[in-house]
Amino acid sequence: MNTSTFVDGRGWLYRFDPRAKILLMILLCVFFFLPITLVGLAVSVLLVIAVGWHNTGTRNMVSVLKSITPMLLFMLLFAPFNVRGGEVLLSIGSVTIITVEGAAQALRLACRFIGITYVCTLLFATTVMGELMLALRFWRLPYKAALVVTLSFSSIPFIAESFSQIGESHSLREAADEEKKNYIQRLKDLLPTLTSVLVVALRSIPNLAMSLEMRGLGRSETRSSYRSLDSYTHLFTDFVISITIVTVLWLIFKA
Amino acid sequence: MATALTITNLRFTYRSYDGIEVEPLLSNLNLTIGEGERVLLLAPFDKGKTTLAKIICGVCPKYFPGALEGSVSVFGHDLSLTEPWQLLTEVGYVSQNPAEQFIATTVEEEIAFPLESLGLVQSEMAERIDWALEKWGLTHLRDANESELSGGERKRVLLAIQDAIAPRLWLLDEVFDDLDVEWRAHLQQVIAQEGRTTLVLASRYLDEFADLFDRVLLLDGKSVVEMERGDLLDRFAHLSGDDRPNPLGAAPIEPRHTHTLAVEDLVVERRRRNALRAAPFELVVEGFELQSGEVVTLTGANGSGKSSFSRLLCGLDEPKSGIISIDGVPTSSKALNRTVGYLFQNPDLQIFLPTVEEELAWSLKRRSDLSSREIKDLVSEAAELFGLTLTDTPTTMSYPGRKALQAAVYYLLDRPFYILDELDSALTYHSALTIIAHLRRRGAAILLITHDRLFASKVGGRGYTIEEGRLRDA
Repeated sequence: MNTSTFVDGRGWLYRFDPRAKILLMILLCVFFFLPITLVGLAVSVLLVIAVGWHNTGTRNMVSVLKSITPMLLFMLLFAPFNVRGGEVLLSIGSVTIITVEGAAQALRLACRFIGITYVCTLLFATTVMGELMLALRFWRLPYKAALVVTLSFSSIPFIAESFSQIGESHSLREAADEEKKNYIQRLKDLLPTLTSVLVVALRSIPNLAMSLEMRGLGRSETRSSYRSLDSYTHLFTDFVISITIVTVLWLIFKA
Repeated sequence: MATALTITNLRFTYRSYDGIEVEPLLSNLNLTIGEGERVLLLAPFDKGKTTLAKIICGVCPKYFPGALEGSVSVFGHDLSLTEPWQLLTEVGYVSQNPAEQFIATTVEEEIAFPLESLGLVQSEMAERIDWALEKWGLTHLRDANESELSGGERKRVLLAIQDAIAPRLWLLDEVFDDLDVEWRAHLQQVIAQEGRTTLVLASRYLDEFADLFDRVLLLDGKSVVEMERGDLLDRFAHLSGDDRPNPLGAAPIEPRHTHTLAVEDLVVERRRRNALRAAPFELVVEGFELQSGEVVTLTGANGSGKSSFSRLLCGLDEPKSGIISIDGVPTSSKALNRTVGYLFQNPDLQIFLPTVEEELAWSLKRRSDLSSREIKDLVSEAAELFGLTLTDTPTTMSYPGRKALQAAVYYLLDRPFYILDELDSALTYHSALTIIAHLRRRGAAILLITHDRLFASKVGGRGYTIEEGRLRDA
C-alpha cells in the first residue's frame, strides 16, 4: 500500500545527516523566495538538479521532471499574461501579449517550482523512512505527526503507481483496429482513470488504519525505535555545511 | 485445554449505503478453538470468511461498518471492550490480500513496526528481524519495497511478521495462495508445530491440508458446522460447485484462425529500485510457444519472474534482448498490447467505470465496425455468460464478481491470446475453470500462471516452469 520514495544509492547525500538534510531543505526552499537574480535562481536550481543527478541517477531525475511537466507547462503558458507592464516582447496589433517582465516572472515561478520539487524529492529519495522519522522527531515533531508526514509522502508514489497501472490496463483494452487517439479522446480517457485511482486510494484508507492498529499503534508502551541516527557522526559539521551552502548562494546571487 | 477463541451467537450485517435492507452475512455463528489447536475453516466464496477474520482481530465493524451482535472473546479478552492494538500479541492476522496490510516502505521496517510498538530494545528487534527474514527467505529483500515484491514474497513478509511478534493465535486467510511449492511445504511445517494455535480460513481444499489440522469446519450458510470430514468435504465441494463436471471438458472450442505466439532468446533484466545491493533479477527464455486453442500452465517459485515474463508477452515492458513474434512475424509492444490479453492478479486495476454495462461497452465503443445495437447485444451476451448484472456497480461487487467482470471485459476484446495471472487465487476451482472455458471457447490460447498443482492438473495440457532464471518445459 505504501510505495517507497527511497532510491538506493551511494552518493554523498546518503551519508549526510538526515537532521541536517531537513534543515538544508528548509533553508533552500526559503532561499528560492529571497530577492536573488533570475540567473542566480536558475543556476541554484541547476546545481540542485546536478547534485540529485549525481546522487540518485538520471532515471530518478527524469521521472521527477516528467511528473511535474504538465504543471510546469501550465505555469509557463499562463503566468506571463499576469504581468502587463514593461517592455513588450510580443504583441498583436496594439494588444500586448507578453512583456519581458512577464516572461521573467514566469521563468522565476518555474525555477522556484522545479527547485522546491527537487529539493523535497532529494530528501525523501536519499533518506530511508525510519531515519526520516527520527530526524523529524529530532526537530520536535510528535511521533504521530512524523508518521503522518512519512505516510503521506509514501502515498504520493503509491497513487502515481496506481495511475500508471490503471493506464497500462487501459492500453491493454484498446480495440485491435483503434486509430491513434487525439487529444480530446485522451482527455476523455483521463476521467475514468482518475476515478479508478480515487477509488483505489479511498479503499486503502480503512486498510491502512486497520493495519496500523493491528501492528500496535496506540499501545500504552513507549515506542522504541529500530533505526537510530548513531551512524551519522558529523551532525554539527553537516549543520554548518547546510548553512554555508545557502549563505554562499545568497551572497553570490543576491539581487 | 484452555480456550483461545470463543464466538457465541455472532450475527453481522454490513451497513447498507443505498437504503436497501441488507441480509446478515453471518448469523447464529458459534465457534470455539482451544489453545494449541489447529483448525481449518472452509468457506465458499463471499460467505463471510474474511469478515469473520476481521471481526476476530477487532477491526470489524470498527473500520468496515456494520451491525455486530453476539460475543467474541480471544484469550479471555472481550472484543467489545478491546482495541485492536491490545491484541498485538494475542492474534496475528495474515490477509488474503497481502498488499492491504503493508504500512512501511521496506520489508525490514515492516517487521520492525510492531516490535517498536511493543517497546523492544534495538538489539532484540534486530535479532528477531534477522531470524524472521532468514526463516522466510527474505534476507536479500530486506530493503525492498512492497511494490517490488511478488505475491508470494508479500505473503512471506506477513508470515515473517507473525514469527517476529509470535502471537498466541495465528489467523491465516487463504495463506497458501501465492506461495510456491517450497514455501507451502515450509508453511505446513510451521503450522504443524506443537503448541501453536492456528485458524486457517480457505475457500479451496488443497492437497497440503491433509492431516495438517486437528479439526476441519465449514461455514455453511451463515454459521459454522462440524461433521465427519468426508461428508464435510463433499458438502464443501457441492457448495463451491467443485462437484460439477469440469467446464473445460465440456466447452466447445471454435477456432476461427490459428495463431502462434513465440519467443526466441529473450533476456529480461530488472533491478529493484530500493535495494541496489540485491542482485538484479534476470530471466532467460530460449524458446516459448503458445498456439490457438491450448491452455498452457506456467509455474515457478515466488519471484522467479512469471509476472515479468507476462508483462513482456503483452507488450507492457521491453525485453533487454530477444524477439517476440506472432505467426513468425516480430511484433511491437503496441501490437502485443492489442493481441495478448493480460488479466492482472488484482481485478481492481482493470475495472474502473460506474456500472457493469459501461465497463463491458468501453472497449467495444472504440471499435469502428460495430453499431450501437451490436454493442448492446454483445454486452448483454457477455453479461449473461459470466453471470453479471448490467446495472451493478463494480466497486461494490464481490471479489469473484469483479474477477468475472474482468474476464468478461477481456472476453469481449476477443484476443487470440490470454495470460491469466493466478486466476485461481481466491476463486473456487469451478469458477476459475469456467472463466477459462469461456475465454477459450472461440479458440484463444491461454497461458495460466498458478502455484496450485491440483488446479494445474484440472486444466491439463503442457506447461512451462521457471527455474534458476530460465524458462523450460515443465
